[in-house]
Order: sequence, then C-alpha cells, then structure tokens
Amino acid sequence: MNKSATQSGRTKAGGITIIRYRGVVKRYGDFQALSGIDLDVHAGEVVCLIGPSGSGKSTLLRCTNGLESIEGGDIEFEGTALPRDERELRAVRTRMGMVFQSFELFPHLTALANVAEGPRTVLRKHAAEANRRASAMLAKVGLADKAPNYPSALSGGQQQRVAIARALAMEPDVMLFDEPTSALDPETIGEVLNVMKQLADEGMTMVVVTHEMTFARRVGDWIAVFDAGRIVEQGPPEQIFDAPTTERTRDFLSHLGWTG
Amino acid sequence: MDFDFSVITDHLSFLGSGIAITLLLSVLSGTTSLIAGFFVALFRLYGPRWLKPLVVLYIDSMRAIPVLVVLVWTFFALPIIAGVTMSPFMAALIGLTVHLAAYAAEIVRAGVESVRPGQSRAALALGMSRAQIVRRIVMPQALVRMLPAFGSLLSITIKDTAIASVIAVLELMRQSETLAGQSFQPIEVFSFAMLVYFLMLFPVTRGVDMFYRRVAHLGRS
Repeated sequence: MNKSATQSGRTKAGGITIIRYRGVVKRYGDFQALSGIDLDVHAGEVVCLIGPSGSGKSTLLRCTNGLESIEGGDIEFEGTALPRDERELRAVRTRMGMVFQSFELFPHLTALANVAEGPRTVLRKHAAEANRRASAMLAKVGLADKAPNYPSALSGGQQQRVAIARALAMEPDVMLFDEPTSALDPETIGEVLNVMKQLADEGMTMVVVTHEMTFARRVGDWIAVFDAGRIVEQGPPEQIFDAPTTERTRDFLSHLGWTG
Repeated sequence: MDFDFSVITDHLSFLGSGIAITLLLSVLSGTTSLIAGFFVALFRLYGPRWLKPLVVLYIDSMRAIPVLVVLVWTFFALPIIAGVTMSPFMAALIGLTVHLAAYAAEIVRAGVESVRPGQSRAALALGMSRAQIVRRIVMPQALVRMLPAFGSLLSITIKDTAIASVIAVLELMRQSETLAGQSFQPIEVFSFAMLVYFLMLFPVTRGVDMFYRRVAHLGRS
C-alpha cells in the first residue's frame, strides 16, 4: 500500500500546502467511514478523489469544511487546524467554496440572488456590490443571461454552474466539488466540466470527488484512490491510470471500463 | 311548501351585523393564531430543551379537546380563575386562538422540517450562521410549502367562529338562530346562513390555491 504521499511526479508540490489531512478518522456509530486518511493539497493543485461509492470520498470533503466532525487525526487548512468553535469555523468556510451533487440552489432566489447571497449575508457587502460581483461570476460560468431566472427554470447543468458561481462569489482559496456531475443528464455534464477545467487552468486549488475518469486523467494533478475508508493509492494521473501499483486500483478502474 | 325570503331582506342589517362580527372574529383569530403558532413552532424546533415537553403537551391537548369545550371553558371558567370579566367576543378570540395556534404550530413545524437538509448544508458551506439559515434560507421556502395547509386552517377558522354562537357572540350563526326562532322560518334563515358561509369561504380557499400554484416553485428544492 502506498499510503504516504510520495511526491514523485507531483508538479505543483512546491506550492504552499492549502489542506493537510493526517490520520483522519470519521465514525458513524459503529461504522468507520474514514480510517486514517493522509493527503496533502497544494496551492493551485487539482486533487481528484476517486473510488467506489461509500468509500469515504464525500465524507472527507464534508470533514474538510467542518460540515462533519472528525473523531481522530488532524485537518489543517492554510497551516491552522480546523477550529471546533462554530464562529471560527464559519470564518474558515467562507474561504472554502463547496459544490454539491444535488446543486442545492436556493429555490426562492433568482440565479443572481443565489450568487449574491453569500457576499450579502456573510461578507456583509452592500447590495450593489454583491450584485455586481454576482453578475461577474454568472458571466464567468457563461450564464449572464440567466441572472433573473429562478432555479426551477434552469437545466441541471445550468443550476450546477450557478452553484459554482455562488461558491466563487465568496472568492475562496479552495473549491470542494462533491460529485458535481453525478446528478446531471449526460448532455449537460460537459458544460459543467468545462467550467471546472477553466477554473483549474486559472490556478484555482480544487478537491474534486468524481466518477468522471476522463476529467480526473486530464485535469487532475494528483489522484487519491479510496476504498473502504482508506486511500489505497495516490499519485499523479499517469501513475494511477496507466500504471496503477495496487490491485484495488486496477480492479476499480477495470470495473469502470477504463482502458486508458 | 312556500318560501318567503322577505324575512332575509327585512332583517338584512340584523344579519349583516352578524356577518361583520363573523368576519372580524375570523380575521382576528386567524391572524393571532398564525402568529402564536409560528412562535410555538419556533420554540418546539429551536427552543431550549426543557420547554419542548411543555410545547408538545400544549399541542397534543389542543388536538384532543374539542374547540367547543375550549370556548366554553374560556368564557365560563377562565374569568373565575383569573378574576377578570371578559366579553363573549374576547373569550371567543382567546379560545379560538389558543386552539388554532396548536394546529398552526404543527403546520409551521412540518413546513420547516420538509425543507431538505442539503439546503442548510449549502448555506452552512457559504459560512452562514444557524440564525441566518433559518431566516433567509429555510423559512422562506417553508412558508411557501405551508400555504395549502394554511389555506385549510383559515377555512377551518372561519367555520369554527360559528361555534362562538354558544357563548353568545352575536355572529352570523347566533343572529340566524335568533331570527329563525322569532320568525319561525328556519329554512330560509339557515339556508341564507349556509350561503353566506360558502360565499365567504370559497374565494379564500380558491384564492390560496391559485396563489400557491403560482409560487410553488419557490419552495421546491
């Protein structure tokens, strides 16, 4: 098992460490969801978490911004351990954008108001400033013309792009994506992945839980393969997809029909 | 059988005063029970732990006791216990509010709990506080989802005001009983009363339904 983060082939390892996971343990009652996760996320990196459903990828993401608490180990964000205090945790969350599988746009707000909500309510910006920022973010994800629409009038792909804009409007240091395309129709997956690719190209630090192996292969800088609450292998995409060192990784990829 | 509806037209102002009292009692008790129910629900959902059993006891007892009993108790027993005199109208308003607020509270609670947890998670992830999430994310959606149930409650409120006739509130039912007894024309008088209740209720229930259809998407997450 290659549990420790070997840095060979890690092109952006020189950047500062944005998130550092050490021995992270998460339990739900008797069920151990995470059993000692060690992983580093450097500035500007796209780290993809792959592996079968229920292997702990999404759980790790939720622990990262404190939506779930951990029972053991440490999670450091920008050099400081995640605070336990709710107020301090809120401050940390404003610097981590999160995108959910089920979008979770606020249905009672227009696309523009969804994106402006964070700056307005959390960052206490004036309405004009929040709306200006929201317009810019909607334009960035290619949805400037949808600003007055309610989520119910948007396609799944459009809703997810608005959700990305909503997270970006907080000007986060890292973006957490929790299976952002799993709930989408095949024809709209591409538009969301394109936006994510564009973000990656701009140097955004990203942690992406995904089943899109082509995306992970092309855009990912570092891949962590999860199984049963552990990272069974991590490395650059060339290693994981072309020359996996563990049986479990080969199994997982072959089940997905991955042929490189 | 001959019908003589002149009994209605001859006593329009008498019946009209009853209709006015019915409307006033409906609007007032509808409003106060919604406001009270809202706070009861907030206590049950977000209040201190020790308060919750009391709130649950209140809600369960109001659902178990007939509104007629509550009204009679409020009018005859409460003044003796509290040492205050109370007009029939005041007693009806208090009794109806106490009774209906329990139902309103359950509607609010069900509405709030029906908003998916993912909405709160998304708001938390933005860095919002619990209070901000309730106020800006959960409650607006919950209110939309509560509309149909509130429409039903409002119609029940209007209908329940008729029960206030037993404690001598001079509302439509009470005035109708008086007029029917004096004129010996119960068919005409009570048919008129039925028609008036229907005409008051129908636009309310239909109006709420139509409004809900227009805004339902705002609560659909």
